[in-house]
Amino acid sequence: MAERGFQISRLPGFATVAIGAFVLLYLPILTLVVYSFNASNSVAVWGGFSLHWYADAWANEDVKAATVRSLVIGVSAAFLSTILATLAALGTTRRRAFKGQTLIYVVINQPLMVPEIVTAVALMIFFGIIKVATGYQGLGYLIAAHTAFCLPFAYLPIRARLESMDLALETAAADLYASPWQTFRRVTLPLLAPGIMAGAMLAFVISLDDVVITEFVKSGGQDTLPTYMLGQLRRSFTPEVNAISTMLLAVTVVLLTAFFLLTRKKD
Amino acid sequence: MKHLLSATAMVLASATLAGAEGVLQLYNWGNYTSPELLEKFEKETGIKVTVTDYDSNDVALAKVEAGGSGFDLVVPSANYVPIWVEKGLIVPLDLSKLPNHANIAPEWKDVPWDPGRAYTIPWQWGSTGLTVNTKVYGGDINTSAVFLEVPPELQGKINVVPEMNDIVALATMYVGGEPCSEDPEVMKKARDVLLAAKPNWISMDYGATERVSNGDWAASVNWNGSSMRVRLNTNGDVQYGYPKEGYPLFMDSVALLKDATNVEEAYKFLDFIMVPENAAMISNFARYANGISGSEAFMDPEMTNAPEVVIPEEFKAAGVFLPTCTGKSLDYITAIWTELQK
Repeated sequence: MAERGFQISRLPGFATVAIGAFVLLYLPILTLVVYSFNASNSVAVWGGFSLHWYADAWANEDVKAATVRSLVIGVSAAFLSTILATLAALGTTRRRAFKGQTLIYVVINQPLMVPEIVTAVALMIFFGIIKVATGYQGLGYLIAAHTAFCLPFAYLPIRARLESMDLALETAAADLYASPWQTFRRVTLPLLAPGIMAGAMLAFVISLDDVVITEFVKSGGQDTLPTYMLGQLRRSFTPEVNAISTMLLAVTVVLLTAFFLLTRKKD
Repeated sequence: MKHLLSATAMVLASATLAGAEGVLQLYNWGNYTSPELLEKFEKETGIKVTVTDYDSNDVALAKVEAGGSGFDLVVPSANYVPIWVEKGLIVPLDLSKLPNHANIAPEWKDVPWDPGRAYTIPWQWGSTGLTVNTKVYGGDINTSAVFLEVPPELQGKINVVPEMNDIVALATMYVGGEPCSEDPEVMKKARDVLLAAKPNWISMDYGATERVSNGDWAASVNWNGSSMRVRLNTNGDVQYGYPKEGYPLFMDSVALLKDATNVEEAYKFLDFIMVPENAAMISNFARYANGISGSEAFMDPEMTNAPEVVIPEEFKAAGVFLPTCTGKSLDYITAIWTELQK
């Protein structure tokens, strides 16, 4: 036994704790899914099986518009923040340590430290000034805000990947007279790709999830799926919200599975 | 290519056409605006209404105050209307553009928070009272004693919504005071009765619609619209009580923002929602009463007969619109609430 070393999975009670954790994580989601098929208009009293909440959600123009908006913002913010994060990660790892490096880490990761409500109020006031001055009311504000707070989520996995990559390969490329661009294009980027994908996925999910900042920054007619669902609180929730959540969950699971299968094949 | 160009031109042309026909930005509580109402409005006037949701008075106020919100109409609660007026965020209405203003029911024509209805048009109103399962408790439910001196049948089974102003006001009126009282004796009595009752409450939480319906709670301090849904969920065992010692009323009203850009469209909409048939559409969707005379004729029968929506004559006088408490009274209320949360 001793030569195998310490393994957490061999500790007594490991299975019990693991199963308990899975139950705690997934039981509420399972309840949500079950009640999306409820025939009555309650999210807690079972009234028989029905698919009509799915039909309602599907026919609800507000839900459709909010979903499309959420996706547009999420994809744009993930795209922009991943590009910025990749540049930032290259700039902070592929060079000798310099003075003020820690400060730059702090600045990049600032959205992780500052409470969301503070960022939200600050952006609301700042964008308010711009909105008055320019009259522009479009989605640009939300995309800019989401890009900003998604940045550290994209940055961290990319930096982690860069730090674990062997510098020898890049040095060897340089020794063989590859230009810096060729080295980057042929060596660094392909090795970095999984980190970039992970960063982009994380940024997309974080953007899709956001309530507080969106609520404060959105202009007229810019409800996203989370702020739409929050708005239902005043009256009581109906299983329509469960149905929307279940569909969103299904899309996420499909995306993640596809992503997993694609990356596995390449390896 | 030519096809594409002409198609693009057509799309652009229709976009400008839609622009010419007018748009309106309504900033309202989530799930509070009937989609059929907006469809009908668009059909009659050609004006396309965009609704944006908020979930608290404070968020709405903060966003509009920050400037550049782009909204035309907002729907604040009664106790917030004076704040919007004081900050100069909403403007007095030009009644000459609102011929249907006469349709506002007499009791809503002159209200304390907006004398003479200079700034606001009624949207919906309701009350805070008691939702009680009469199978569990058969006694009198039209008294705050149900939650302040909890009868044995309901001990450990009654919930109280965590709404500071409503709950302290109910207790203040129960001990014989006025809401926002600055009398330390009255406020001390209110505090004592609340603290003495608290051990008999099961929780201080939202969600009464669900949890009374499924039997987790036998009773709750609750809003009338929610209570009606519980009754419909439970085949009538659950009734709504109006505390005779006094209970809070609330009303959300539509106001025109100072920096509105679609002012003419906003007036058309305000006038439109004061037509009884249209006001009824608002109520049928969100399940609260609306304050427009004659709208009952167009409301769903299950609403016009509902004891939760139509306040019985004998309890009408006990309903009170809570003023915006300030100064000493607010200090007392906050102190009581803090102690109650411990």
